[in-house]
Formats: sequence, structure tokens, C-alpha cells
Amino acid sequence: MSASGDNFECGHSLEELSIYLDTGEFSDPGHLTECPECQSGLAALRRLAALGDELVSADIAAAGSGTDDWMQSILDNLRLELRPGRDIPVRPDTPGDILTETEGSISALIRSAADSLPGTAAGKCRLDGDVSTPGSPITVRVDVAVVFGHPLEERADALRRGIAATLARHTELNIAAIDVTVADVLEPGFPGPAAGPARPSESSEEKP
Amino acid sequence: MNQSLLPGDTTPAGLAAALRDVILDVDGVAEVFPARPLWQNIAGAARSAVTGEPLPVVQVEFDGEAVDVLTRIGVSTALPAPAVARSVAAAIREHLGSRTATVRVQLVQVR
Ligand SMILES: [Zn+2]
Repeated sequence: MSASGDNFECGHSLEELSIYLDTGEFSDPGHLTECPECQSGLAALRRLAALGDELVSADIAAAGSGTDDWMQSILDNLRLELRPGRDIPVRPDTPGDILTETEGSISALIRSAADSLPGTAAGKCRLDGDVSTPGSPITVRVDVAVVFGHPLEERADALRRGIAATLARHTELNIAAIDVTVADVLEPGFPGPAAGPARPSESSEEKP
Repeated sequence: MNQSLLPGDTTPAGLAAALRDVILDVDGVAEVFPARPLWQNIAGAARSAVTGEPLPVVQVEFDGEAVDVLTRIGVSTALPAPAVARSVAAAIREHLGSRTATVRVQLVQVR
């Protein structure tokens, strides 16, 4: 990825946000009050830091560049998704008015639903399909990392129900499927995925 | 609602400031973000540094008698976001009275 590719459309980067959380320093502090994407990034990094409390030796807050594979993957997805993205239409009352939601605002909403479950951090949060055409079927794909010891299947089911309810309330998208995959199981006390043979991914899909 | 525009509403900056208050008053609206992302607004930022004028919080453009309004808002999850977007558009139209208008509302944050 090129240097410019690491920056959001506003010109700032996840690394700058991570440094800001650690040190309180940011080149343009006023920007943080007026940039929804940087605000979403800070919220996601704070939730990751909170997950770090469960992972004793993983210094997540300091890992702006990500030292572990799972953390790297979460940060890579954040870099991709912290941008306005596509416009999702909302039906106007007055014909001719143009009401939209940014794809970034909705993926951030999904991410926060996943992160709010105990011991869970969202990786990929994607809307697959033509979100800019009303009624077009959309598949939501969410990858999560879950701290070992939390019930995986219950976690995936609860998350799928939560996302379905959130999207029904806050969007007019036609959600065809919500696919939640437990991509990593994290061992407390170790900075990486649980040791031993690779665990099969927990994947499930259903109509909401 | 056919009310005449307030005196401050006859300039884009005056109308933008008035509309910002109108939008913030709508239930469910948490924030009004500057109408354009900063990276699109470097010329405007440079100009405002010289003149000391803040960047418009709501984009307002006059085209003869018609007016074009664009706002970027953050909403809370307390109310359904699409309904809040429609309420914002209605509040803008009510403020503009009988003026011909194009209204664009972009939700950029839901939380
Ligand atoms: Zn930003």
C-alpha cells in the first residue's frame, strides 16, 4: 500500500489517530471535531484498547502499526472502511430532495455493534451489493476476533440479531443476509491467536 | 409555510448560520459537520484564514430566486436515522418558506 493509500480522504491516518490517543498530540486538533471518519476511527481504537485489558500482554493501544496478524487485519480493515464510501439513499418526503447516508457511517455503526459485545473486536465490516440502488439485495459481511472462553456460536447469533435490528432501524437497505465469521480466537495472556491447530471459522448466514 | 425571509437570510453565510441552528434543533440530530470535507475545501480554508471568516457550516448557494442547501449531519441512535434525515429536510424547507429549493441531507455519522 502506498503512503497516500494509508491516509483517509481527509488526509489523516490511523497512525496519527493512534498517536493522538497515546499522547494527546495531533497536528490539527480542530479537525477532530469536524471529521466524522476520524471520530469513528478514534472510537474504534478506544474499543480496541479496552479489549486489550482482556489480553494482558498485548499492548494494543501502542500497536498503531499492528504487530500481530489479527491486529494487523483489524487495522487494515479500519483503514479501508474509515472513509465516506458510497451514498446509501434514503426516501425523501419531497420529490427532488436528496437524502443519503454514507456507507462509512453504516459500517462504523456495524463495527460498534460488534465491538460492544464483551471480548469481541470487529475486523471486516462490509456491505456487499449495490447499496446506492434502493431495494437492491445487500449481504453484510462481518469478521470478528473473540477472546478465548467466550461462547462463539452464541456470540455470532447475538451479533447477527443485533446487526439486523440496527440496520432495519437506521437504514432502508434490503438486507438479504448477514454473514458473521469468527476469524480469530484470541488467547488471554498471549499477544496472538490461540495456539494449537487452526480452528475452523464459525460462519453462519441467515435471512434476518 | 409562507413567511418572508429574515434579513440575515439574504446572504449565503447568514442563511447558513440560521439553517445550522434550525438543523441542530431537530430531534435526533447530534451534530452538523462542515458541508464539505476539508480536503475539498483548501481554497476556502485559505480564504477564511485571510478574511478570518469561518468556513460555512451548511453549504448554501443562491441561483437567482432558487437556493441550494447541502448539510452533513451526525445523528444519535435514539431515533431512526432515515426519519431524522426527513425531519431535517422538512425543517430546512419550513425555514426557507416559499423559496424554490434543492435540499440535500447527508448523514455522515450514526452513533
Ligand atoms: Zn479526518
